[in-house]
Amino acid sequence: MTDTASRATRVVAASGRRRRHLGGGPRAGTIVAFLTPFFLPFVLFYLVPIGYAIWQSFRVVRRTGGQYGTSYTTFGGFHQYVQVFHNTEFWSSIERIGLFGVVQVPVMLFVALIMALLLDSPLLRLRSFFRIAAFMPYAVPGVIAAIMWSFLYSPQLSPVVEVLKDVGLTPNFLGPGAVLWSTANVSTWLWTGYNMLILFSALQSIPQELYEAARLDGASNWAIAWRIKVPIIAPSIILTTVFSIIGTLQLYAEPAVLRQISSNISSTYTPNMLAYAVASGNNYQQAAAISVVIAVVTFVLSFGFMRLTTRRAGL
Amino acid sequence: MSNTVTRIRLAGVAAAASLVVLTGCSSSAPSGHSSAAAAACAPAKGKVTLQYWNTVPGMDKVVALWNKSHPNVQVQTKNISNDQYGTLGNALKAGKAPDLAQVGYDELPDLRTQNAFVDASSCKAATAAKSKFVPWTWSQASFGGTGVFAFPQDTGPMALFVRSDIFKQHGLSIPTTWDEYAADAKKLHDADHNLSITFFDPNNAEWFNGLLWQNSAHMYSYSGNSWHVSVDSAQSKQVAAYWQKLIDQKLVRTDLANGSTPMYAAYQKNQVASYVGAAWGYSMFRDNLPDQAGKWAVVPMPTWGTNAASGDWGGSTVAFMKGSKHLYESVEFNSWLNTDPQALALENKLGGLYPAATAGTKLPALSQGVPYYNNQKIFDVFADSSQNIDTSFAWGPTQKTVNLALQDSMAKAAAGSGTLTGSLSAAQAAALKSMKDLAIPATAGK
Repeated sequence: MTDTASRATRVVAASGRRRRHLGGGPRAGTIVAFLTPFFLPFVLFYLVPIGYAIWQSFRVVRRTGGQYGTSYTTFGGFHQYVQVFHNTEFWSSIERIGLFGVVQVPVMLFVALIMALLLDSPLLRLRSFFRIAAFMPYAVPGVIAAIMWSFLYSPQLSPVVEVLKDVGLTPNFLGPGAVLWSTANVSTWLWTGYNMLILFSALQSIPQELYEAARLDGASNWAIAWRIKVPIIAPSIILTTVFSIIGTLQLYAEPAVLRQISSNISSTYTPNMLAYAVASGNNYQQAAAISVVIAVVTFVLSFGFMRLTTRRAGL
Repeated sequence: MSNTVTRIRLAGVAAAASLVVLTGCSSSAPSGHSSAAAAACAPAKGKVTLQYWNTVPGMDKVVALWNKSHPNVQVQTKNISNDQYGTLGNALKAGKAPDLAQVGYDELPDLRTQNAFVDASSCKAATAAKSKFVPWTWSQASFGGTGVFAFPQDTGPMALFVRSDIFKQHGLSIPTTWDEYAADAKKLHDADHNLSITFFDPNNAEWFNGLLWQNSAHMYSYSGNSWHVSVDSAQSKQVAAYWQKLIDQKLVRTDLANGSTPMYAAYQKNQVASYVGAAWGYSMFRDNLPDQAGKWAVVPMPTWGTNAASGDWGGSTVAFMKGSKHLYESVEFNSWLNTDPQALALENKLGGLYPAATAGTKLPALSQGVPYYNNQKIFDVFADSSQNIDTSFAWGPTQKTVNLALQDSMAKAAAGSGTLTGSLSAAQAAALKSMKDLAIPATAGK
């Protein structure tokens, strides 16, 4: 058995060497055939648009004379970027989304972690029901979720507001201060189950022997959860955090829908909404620059967080 | 049941919101160097197919009527209500614009700066159409008589919808001036704190622009190689200060968005006594609040002192798009579409359009009493309103950006930070900045 296997390995290795010498050949064809379905759309619909956006962000609009004239674009250096950095709307949208993320991401991930630990614990019954139930909101498109919640927030229609009114409370979920957290609530509702599932599958891959060993040493369920499970799935927690940071910076659908019923969400409420508002005003170059800046900020924050945590935890 | 329309609208808006993310990213820079000079106007030989993009419900049926009797000029329609201007802008950049497209009056200058139109004034039928339309609509579609870039289609002459039963109950007569309206607002609110005369929707710049228009606020003009921007003129400020006062005294609601389900709910609960609306809005209450039949009446908009002027809110043109190879046939079809009584009647019936053609305002459907409104001939009020709209009002080339800035600032004012007068300054600044960004020469002042 061992002999056959090792001989086979040798043969494969030898043929690999020989083919490499030949270059091209049927193997290169296979590689191309397998990679094209990925790389072609990747280049066409990912790299090219990004490259185009970067190119656009270095252009400025010029116009021939007359009341309407004819526009054309020309190289403008960092003009659009200077505009972005001087745009107070941009900075307040970043600030707003920063506040949103600092509160919403930890709350959501904490809830997701607790839920994952509960699902993984031997104490819980009806496990698959709870797993599906918690994951269900993720199957609802963000726009639909926001419409649904908008009916729960609206003071004219909401049964929640009605009930609270009966107990003497008059909350305004769409008020200038509250609407950010009402939006955060929609995002949390949508994404907690998704994050829970990532954490839960990480928990499932922990070998049972570890728990047995811990129990022999007298560890309680509580201690197993916090001292063994959580540290082991730390990489997954970091991963979900990075996903959440990216998601926060790209927030669009939820506030854009809630804007239909709350005037306290401005057209420049989040960086993406600002970019869209600028683009709808035909200023595509400025919108491109805003998009590039958002991408850079996202990149810096998510990789910064990843480096910081991996260094700290020695992962 | 009664909320179905609004729900669909909300869902549509949401779907559009999700779609625009895609289109927003893929849009390219405005380009093209040819000018919008008048094109030649000659009939084509043989069969012609025209593309006509619009957002009007039921327009395909109107077009089918034309296609049946015009085998040589076939028209294909496409509904672009998901993202009207995004779709048009992208098509223009790709050089694939339709022959004809629906464009709102307030978006005409914006699209013209994108070189979207062709001047059809070389067609006799185009220049001759002038007399067939309500004066202000032709003025805007022809850019003050400098060409024929579009035919007016529908309008939204404004009027006041009143719950006559509530007014009667509180012993109030119908207000004819804005001062009387404000006095009535106070009386209603004093009598019942849950009752407001109307609502101020800060997220509706189009509506507010209609109010500014009524007060002869001239926001844009062009002379000496530059646009002159005066969004924050004295006339505008008078309107802003008026509504600010009503907001400050809590006499108008600020928590209702026009056409939203919460808005209908507030009217349903008899919390709001009137509605400053447009002609196309007559079906809103009829369809959403059927049990209030007979309680509503339509009266002329309250006026500023003795000035009988009215305003317009909404409405569209059908524009001649650049790149069309069949200008002659486009003019022919466009003319039929917007002046033929049969076409107008169908557009009114299926799409709720209130015609811009003078003859259209005399359609049978628009001359009778409307059952929901106690058989009042409400369209007479709108026809009068239409004739009283300032013909020298003009929109700016970056109207969308200005509207957004105005809304964002008005929302803050309605929530208690800043004033509506301040919002006009914000809109003025946004107008100058956005024009500068697009290299459109602009200076402040008239």
